[in-house]
Amino acid sequence: MQSLEEIGVGQTASIADVPGADAVSLRLLEMGLTPGVRVAVVGRAPLGDPVELEVRGYRLSIRRREAALVTVTT
Amino acid sequence: MTEPGGRERPLIVALVGNPNTGKSTLFTALAGIPTRIGNYPGVTVEEKVGRFSHHGRDVDLVDLPGTYSLRAQSPDEQVAVDVLCGRMRGVPKPDCAIVVVDASNLARNLFLTSQVLDLGLPTVVALTLGDLAAERGITVDADSLARRLGCPVIPVVVPQGVGVSTLRDSVVGAAAALPPPPPALAAHLADADAERPPAARDAIARYAWIDGIAADVIRRSDRTGRSRSEAIDAILTHRVWGTLVFAMVMLALFTSIFRLASPAMDLISAGMDGVAAQVEASLPEGPLRSLLVDGVLAGVGGVVVFVPQIALLFLFIAILEGCGYLSRAAFLMDRLLVGAGLSGKSFIPLLSSFACAIPGIMAARTIENRRDRLLTILVAPLMSCSARLPVYLLLCGAFVPDAAVVFPWLRLPAVVLVAMYALGVIVAAAVAFGLSRTVFRGPPQPFVMELPGWRWPQAAVVLERVREAAWSFLKNAGTLILAMSIVLWALGTYPRPVLPAGGEFTEAEARGEALRQSFLGRAGRAIEPLVKPLGWDWRLGCAALASFPAREVVLGTLGVIYNLGDVDPGDEEGGTMLVRRLKAATWDGTERKVFSLPVALSIMVFFALCAQCASTLAVIGRETGSWVWPVVTFAYMTSLAWLGAFAIYQLGTALGW
Repeated sequence: MQSLEEIGVGQTASIADVPGADAVSLRLLEMGLTPGVRVAVVGRAPLGDPVELEVRGYRLSIRRREAALVTVTT
Repeated sequence: MTEPGGRERPLIVALVGNPNTGKSTLFTALAGIPTRIGNYPGVTVEEKVGRFSHHGRDVDLVDLPGTYSLRAQSPDEQVAVDVLCGRMRGVPKPDCAIVVVDASNLARNLFLTSQVLDLGLPTVVALTLGDLAAERGITVDADSLARRLGCPVIPVVVPQGVGVSTLRDSVVGAAAALPPPPPALAAHLADADAERPPAARDAIARYAWIDGIAADVIRRSDRTGRSRSEAIDAILTHRVWGTLVFAMVMLALFTSIFRLASPAMDLISAGMDGVAAQVEASLPEGPLRSLLVDGVLAGVGGVVVFVPQIALLFLFIAILEGCGYLSRAAFLMDRLLVGAGLSGKSFIPLLSSFACAIPGIMAARTIENRRDRLLTILVAPLMSCSARLPVYLLLCGAFVPDAAVVFPWLRLPAVVLVAMYALGVIVAAAVAFGLSRTVFRGPPQPFVMELPGWRWPQAAVVLERVREAAWSFLKNAGTLILAMSIVLWALGTYPRPVLPAGGEFTEAEARGEALRQSFLGRAGRAIEPLVKPLGWDWRLGCAALASFPAREVVLGTLGVIYNLGDVDPGDEEGGTMLVRRLKAATWDGTERKVFSLPVALSIMVFFALCAQCASTLAVIGRETGSWVWPVVTFAYMTSLAWLGAFAIYQLGTALGW
């Protein structure tokens, strides 16, 4: 299973799960990164981190460490 | 609902919503200037209440902090939950809630809405940013949404005044008549996967419910082109262009607080000097005149002089925030700051602190994460502010040899000057890194941040932000700064000097003698053993002590202590006079010169690192809502300053500089 961190700029993926029970994982779910949702990696900051996502019609910035908590299918 | 006296008590209405939904704009449109601004008891979350009247009914509008969820994981969320449930001390349970919902971002906004609906309060949805949605080819059917949610949904376009009056009608009506909406979620919650933690189950179930509604109420047109917002975004978060624009915006911000504010600051200083001259002319010389001129007026001037910088910085921040750039700036800079245990949102507060730590610390309000905000506030005073520059310039010019470094055009005084700025940055990074791994250790702080769509900032919201920042500074920090200024005046004036009989004294010599004999002068002598390892005599110790309330007074104090009287060390002539006097200064009773390169360096390092600014400490106290943090800041910075000055002096002496 791939993690969202591995998805390149310009690619899209489908969220499989955010399996963690930690505060960050819960916040990601609350922000709409729920299983089945399509997510596009729109860009990366000039220094490589964080990444800019498009999810549920809005733009969200998360760090790579946080993207690693999300499993995806392409 | 009737108060004694026959008048109905005001309705309490809570304004809830995600950040970046136009909630502030709506607050201003409904209630105008807030009638009450403060902090909720025990937390540093802002309480903002405004009042309006509609059809003879008074309504108190309570603006809750912008949140994405009511899970009560942060102080902001906790406040929102407590107010909505009527558990907040001093705030009656609301009669009604207005949920602000961004039409261009319906699904995520309905998440919070669903949580508010669960509380069983009469609820009205204000549907905002329909224009932004239309640009993306999205229309939200307000009537079907109202049917699905079981509460009124009112489209609002604040700049055109659309819906504001309907919203008022609806709120006044709803609070009296509307039954709480039915629980819509129970079925979904029951269906959810039992393996997960309850909060995760809850979130997934809510989105399943939301997806069902969104499919029904959102109409999409077949637009395939990029929206204007996306086009702007593509440039401004681009590696090259984005960085370039960022550098230009930050340069403009920094230059304006550094340069644009100075005419206004000069005007305030000149005005205060004028008032002081008036007082001096109309009062006989004596303790009262001295108190008014050197204590009260100097204190008032010292407070008001910060207002132009604060106002300008908040003007910039409010505009950047209003159009959506603030979070892009944080996005661009995050990686740079995360290594030091900070986040991208710390960038603007820290950059502003190079002009002055006071607006910088206030700008840390834009950091939602409490830990990141506190860390930023604690290290902001280490950035070399504009008040340190005259000290650096004078000492570099007078005591650093004008030698070439590597290149013939690179002169040593300039290198030392840059090194002083770098020292502050490096020490700040080290302190933030150290604190984030000790005192503030904990689970990693999420940097899950929305990058809102581009839009025009609302003038009313921008001006309110500026007004509020300036006012809260004057009211809360200002009074304290004034009090400290008066205390300092007393310490530098009493006990009155006893001048040796028979001697002839010039006025400058008498002033010098008065300072030397005052409590401050005595304290300077008393701490000589402490400052001797830094290479300082008691006069320097005294000047350093006198500059703890405000470091900019140090050159003036040196002038007085060396019997120059009230010269202005900032101008050419005064500066030259002071330098000549400093170069001639010797240790008491010896021929040994006080000043040398290591001493000059030790003074500069001390000033670079020391918390010599009572105003900054007062603002830290106000912004953190606690006296612990100013004390911590003072203690750690003063210790570092002493150690740094000690190290450079001993090193310089050992190497024979």
